[in-house]
Amino acid sequence: MAELTSTKLNAESHLLLDQPLLRMPYELSRRNFKNAQRVIEHSSTALTSSLTATTKSASKTAAPNATLDSLDSMISKMQGLKRKLEGLHEEEQRIHRSAKARLRHLQDLYEVQSLVDVKYDEWSRTRLSRLLVDYLLREGYSESAAHLAQSKGIAELVDVDAFVACHKVERSLREGMNTGLALEWCKEHSKELKKGSSMLEFELRLQQYIELVRQGHEAGMSGMDGMDTEDGMNGVSVGGGGETKLVEARAHAKKYLSTSGDFELLGRAAGLLAYRPWDEVEPYASLYSPARWTHLATLFLSTHHTLYSLPPRPLLHIALSAGLSALKTPACHSAYTSSSANASSSSTTVCPICSTELNELARNVPYAHHTKSIVENDPVVLPNGRIYGSERLRVYNEKVGTEKGWIRDPISGVVGEKWRDNEVRKVYVM
Amino acid sequence: MDDLREQVELFESSANLATSISQVQKAIDLLTAARAKIAADAKTAPLTLAKLQDPFKKTLDAAQKDLKPIYAGLNKYGKALDRKFKDKPLPSAENDALSSHPSLINRAIAMHLLREGQFGVASTFVEEANRHPPHPEPTLNTPNPYLRESWEKDLAEGTFNSEKLQQQFAQMYHILHQLRIERNLKPAIQWARERSDILEARGSNLEFELCRLQFVCLFVGHGQPDDIMNEEENASGPLHAWKYARRIFGDFQNRYARDIQQLMGAMAYWENVEDSPYQRYFYNDSAWEEVAQSFNREFCSLLGLSADSPLFIAATAGAIALPYLLKLQTIMKEKRTEWTTQHELPVEIPLPSQYHFHSIFVCPVSKEQTTDTNPPMMMPCGHVIAQESLDKLSKGARFKCPYCPTESHPRDARKVVL
Repeated sequence: MAELTSTKLNAESHLLLDQPLLRMPYELSRRNFKNAQRVIEHSSTALTSSLTATTKSASKTAAPNATLDSLDSMISKMQGLKRKLEGLHEEEQRIHRSAKARLRHLQDLYEVQSLVDVKYDEWSRTRLSRLLVDYLLREGYSESAAHLAQSKGIAELVDVDAFVACHKVERSLREGMNTGLALEWCKEHSKELKKGSSMLEFELRLQQYIELVRQGHEAGMSGMDGMDTEDGMNGVSVGGGGETKLVEARAHAKKYLSTSGDFELLGRAAGLLAYRPWDEVEPYASLYSPARWTHLATLFLSTHHTLYSLPPRPLLHIALSAGLSALKTPACHSAYTSSSANASSSSTTVCPICSTELNELARNVPYAHHTKSIVENDPVVLPNGRIYGSERLRVYNEKVGTEKGWIRDPISGVVGEKWRDNEVRKVYVM
Repeated sequence: MDDLREQVELFESSANLATSISQVQKAIDLLTAARAKIAADAKTAPLTLAKLQDPFKKTLDAAQKDLKPIYAGLNKYGKALDRKFKDKPLPSAENDALSSHPSLINRAIAMHLLREGQFGVASTFVEEANRHPPHPEPTLNTPNPYLRESWEKDLAEGTFNSEKLQQQFAQMYHILHQLRIERNLKPAIQWARERSDILEARGSNLEFELCRLQFVCLFVGHGQPDDIMNEEENASGPLHAWKYARRIFGDFQNRYARDIQQLMGAMAYWENVEDSPYQRYFYNDSAWEEVAQSFNREFCSLLGLSADSPLFIAATAGAIALPYLLKLQTIMKEKRTEWTTQHELPVEIPLPSQYHFHSIFVCPVSKEQTTDTNPPMMMPCGHVIAQESLDKLSKGARFKCPYCPTESHPRDARKVVL
């Protein structure tokens, strides 16, 4: 059987919440490395071939100015490459610094042996700040997150920038109803997305198709061919009348959607050409529905989080859910004031679950399992049925100055009933 | 842990883009040198360029090759991370019971920030959260959070008045600062005096402790004189303290007669209190911290809040509990069993005793915790069992206590509150 109370700290198993802390800088340095690799490869091929070309033309025609010009452009290209690399190098150093700070932070935990050590308290406070910043970032409260990180001095332990970038894309989908940023993101991460066989890009392209068809129908309806519309999609020309839009939509589908192999979906997509947005015929109506943008935003978030090894829900929720249950007792939502932890007497502290902050949150979580009673030493019962540790009762009555030979109940206080002290009985809790 | 650190140090010292950048610089130098030569003498162009080809290509290749250590390092680092977290999966959405109540969480966070004294962050947050209200997401216990949104929002907004709470906590921090840093008792004493009746009913002796500390300060001679004492400005040290005592301690006579007697007794030793039996009252460095803590606790309790941040305690308890819950999940998955008690966790979580707040009563007969519907009952012999156990044992007639020879009737058993 597990010990009732244990104060030993097992750092190794205590790190369950901290995997993203180390994963994020790792994923970021990989991304950074790939960018560096791409720019070097790209410029190398371009520059070697342009040097070959220059050499060739220099040996054929002796136009020194042309040679010098092309050399100059090569030099400036090289300098551009160097600038880019230096930028990436700076980023790389920043990531490494933060990775090191995070490792040091986790190492601190290994140095603490006991859960009741003050050092553990301190460490746990830092962790809570981290979890709070993580939560704020996920919910899109980036200003608050940056502010908190800065005031706690934990900027190296949290990933404000990465989340700000992520939320920019998410908002462009959810609120802006625009696929541009998201498609750009897909292009940047195309390799990993392919590896994870993600549906994100397909869904985005499908949305573009839906929007084209919608515009086609709408333009056809109003009969205003050539009406200018703006949708900000990349790779798709804007303008044209109803019929041209539908033609464009078909071309778009052929280019981006037909390779998916999902014929059922393709059939439904083709059906859109016949059913207009206001026809309200399923399954086409749900494709036209604006709720699809919310779906896309959610899909983007989950794709992003999987790619960067981030858990699907905020870590704060995970920690709190477990904590609320571990601390909750049947007394926390009881109709009767508990004798052992309440706000009405200074002989006890308020239980965190009973405190205003968490009480309603904890209402739906299960309470902790106990196999043994936990009561104060030497419990006694008052005539009103309340049980107290006899020492606490004595100290309380001394403090409020109850007359000798009498006892008051700490909950009802000095205005409540009092009893002769021989009415207080011993009680046996096994 | 060490392998990870070594790897990061390797990244910092050598496996980074610095070498590639220097190769690129070398290539630039080659190009500039060639350009200078051609500009000086145009005829050398074909030859110079032909000579340039090879070294230029080589430096660029080297720049690419210098990326290899980074690549290898990243791979190694990734593998070390995998090893580190092999048996520590990312917590899944199943462990999350709170996504359906985002406005309650936001309120808890705002209150946490305020009570930590992070007023700036708190106001940024409250403003930002009002601008972008959160989206609830379904959880196991609340599959459709949108249905209940309205009451929850009312609750979150109705009881949460951030400005008022901020004012209160600002006052608390002001008083604590005065106590801890400035060693000034006046604001605290004033606060306590305004709430004298409530504090007294709670059995708190905060006011007296503050006054006693003030007395001690005056006695040893580094206390600020009270406003009203201005007329007696010349009074110093023990005399000053004595005057203070005569004026203030009268109200405390009944409750703290003994403590006051002790303080008065110390007056006899006013010349050498350091060597007297009363020394511990007067030279006690922790007294200030104790008073500050007890003030903090009383202040929060009067607001119905716990003294330490509940968010902190719950998150810490959660981190301690997670390994047990995760193990439980694995076992349940393996055995394909369901968790049968929806209201109670199926596993005991050993928390340090400072995380126990309420008394717990587990019925020794049924091994279940008592609740409002199944309360603890005390039999005339003083033993306690749960109501349901009592009903089962007695079947409404006289029965023997399971723990002693006494017999009693169930109607003689009384409900008790722990």
